[in-house]
Amino acid sequence: MSVVARKPGPPESAAGNAPHATATAARNFPLDTATLKHYLRQMVTLREFEHLGEREFKNGLIRGYYHSYAGQEAVGVGLVNALDLHRDYIVDHYRDHGHVLLSGVEPKLVYAELFGRRTGVSKGKGGSMHMYSPEHHFLGGDGIVGGGISIATGVGLALKQQKQDGICVCFFGDGALDTGTFHESMNLASLWQIPVVFICVNNMYSMGTSLERHSSLPRLVDRAQGYGVPTEQIDGQDVWATTAAAERIFRQVREQQRPYFIEALTYRYQGHGIHDKPLNYRSLEEETAWHARDPLKLLTDYLVQEKVLSHKQIEQLRTEVVASLEADVAEAKQAPEPDPEELLQDVTL
Amino acid sequence: MIIKKAMHEALNMALREEMIRDPRVVLLGEEIGPYNGVHYVTRGLFAEFGKDRVIDTPISEESFVGVGVGMAMMGQRPVVELMRMDFCLRAMDQIYNHMAKIRYMSGGRLSVPMVLRGPEGPGPNPGLTAQHGQQLTVLFAHCPGLRVVSPANQHDAKGMLKAAIRCDDPVVFLEPGPLNNKQGDVDDGDYLVPLDQAEIKHDGSDVTLIGYGASVSLCLQAARELERGGVSAEVVDMRSLRPLDMAPALASVAKTNRAVVVDYAWQSYGPAAEIVSRLMSDAFWDLESPVLRVAGKESPLPYAANLEELSKPNVEEVVAAAKQTLRN
Ligand SMILES: Cc1ncc(C[n+]2csc(CCOP(=O)(O)OP(=O)(O)O)c2C)c(N)n1
Ligand SMILES: [Mg+2]
Repeated sequence: MSVVARKPGPPESAAGNAPHATATAARNFPLDTATLKHYLRQMVTLREFEHLGEREFKNGLIRGYYHSYAGQEAVGVGLVNALDLHRDYIVDHYRDHGHVLLSGVEPKLVYAELFGRRTGVSKGKGGSMHMYSPEHHFLGGDGIVGGGISIATGVGLALKQQKQDGICVCFFGDGALDTGTFHESMNLASLWQIPVVFICVNNMYSMGTSLERHSSLPRLVDRAQGYGVPTEQIDGQDVWATTAAAERIFRQVREQQRPYFIEALTYRYQGHGIHDKPLNYRSLEEETAWHARDPLKLLTDYLVQEKVLSHKQIEQLRTEVVASLEADVAEAKQAPEPDPEELLQDVTL
Repeated sequence: MIIKKAMHEALNMALREEMIRDPRVVLLGEEIGPYNGVHYVTRGLFAEFGKDRVIDTPISEESFVGVGVGMAMMGQRPVVELMRMDFCLRAMDQIYNHMAKIRYMSGGRLSVPMVLRGPEGPGPNPGLTAQHGQQLTVLFAHCPGLRVVSPANQHDAKGMLKAAIRCDDPVVFLEPGPLNNKQGDVDDGDYLVPLDQAEIKHDGSDVTLIGYGASVSLCLQAARELERGGVSAEVVDMRSLRPLDMAPALASVAKTNRAVVVDYAWQSYGPAAEIVSRLMSDAFWDLESPVLRVAGKESPLPYAANLEELSKPNVEEVVAAAKQTLRN
């Protein structure tokens, strides 16, 4: 059953005529080859992390929810790398594997959480949606749509009161624009001049509902108007575009101590969760069009074209990454489950 | 004719039959349309009744519950689905301050004939974790102005949902998540199950096991287990939490003189606490042993498989509690 008849792919999609326009211009942003190679490794890690994770879900090691980050890598890589996580903070929603890894948490600790092990980032108590790592300034992992937006605003207010020069960024989906708390938080952040960046990762779907079926306006930046918060739509497929926007915007938020709203246009490749079958509500044509601008492909094409890396070297990098992740999976599998006494610990002090 | 159906299919039959019978019945909720409902309850209804009667909502719980209240005040019969009952917390103002109170605040001149429904508790599948598998029954049951019911089997699910849709009061219809995919007998005809009557689900004489929704299954399994050891347990399904119909439980305790109340909710201040309190005031002189509770452990729902199992009430605990009441 095809639910929506809509034109496939990024260029003509309801929300996005921006992507192509910005893509070439963004190449001018100076990212040196060492950085680009590092970003490639990160993007490959995020992508392969999910492949192995989904495999282990099917093997029965992971239960309940699993929201894959595959397809959205350039958003996280551009935005999280532009933060200084010694002073900045991240508040995330439940599609959090990519962001927690980019914050610097070791993959084996994220796998251990997914397997419900004592060594997991949340001691096996949180699961896929609830990754927390305060030492990496990663404050979750919230399962309620929009639940983190006011929390991020509070983190920003605390940073300001404590006279720290950090900022807080909050990741959420296009669906979160439909919650009241998003609009309330935008008003508060603007009214109180809070250094928080609201990052809407618009992957075109809220579960099985396409943007035009859940949003009164096709451009989410338009729905974020009216609060005196500057807004910007960016190409979330292109790591140059996300990096350029992030460095400029974060600098401005830090200097001016005022909020900002970013809409990053991207696409999730898998279903909403593991059991969701996206072809029930979107077309293969649309998926193919987005895959043509796959964030990893854009980066590898450039690196090959510029003779920074050969296809063979990129394949080798992927093999290395997979081998390392397989070792992480194996180690996480060996980790013990939590002690029974843990059930009633951490509830209150 | 009696047919075998999963609970979600029984609920689907109820919705479909009522939508055919009454054109004022309108469904609202997230992914209930072409997506067919995350727990399949609305499967096929969008195709059959179209977008004006099966309305997909954005993630705007506070507002679409309020929309339901407004529609109901105008004489429609909205049935509002929460994808998981946990999301009621977003809509609690509309539920507590509006849905529950408009009849009273208007001196009885207005009513809100709507149904708020969705799955609660740790199921159907494991791993729902802290924000998606809670048993928040008591939040509704605490509030005058609401009717709060929860079916324990497929037959009741259909008959009670039909009765809820026909009821002129707001009804919170709590679907036991753990039973969503479980099969059982359903009558394919038009029948109603009353919204305010508890029922004996299994006869016995030595001890009374009391539950509602998914915990009735634990009681029934425990009763079978106890029977193997020569103990005859009677199982009472409360079916309604507000109002509470204590008559069958009181009659049962008059016979058995012992009771265990079983509940997926956290034990402290939970529905089981209210039932125990009623037994204390109304069955005190029949009791030969303290009434015991078996309930959810006082933690958020943990992810790790071993901790999740520990956190939920289980059959062994019910059997052990029943045996303990028999020691006196
Ligand atoms: C308040 C609330 N309502 C409903 C849900 C169920 N739910 C979880 S994710 C989701 C879709 C959200 O989509 P979006 O915000 O676009 O984020 P994405 O999953 O695409 O990253 C829904 C309906 C929820 N978790 N919280
Ligand atoms: Mg989305």
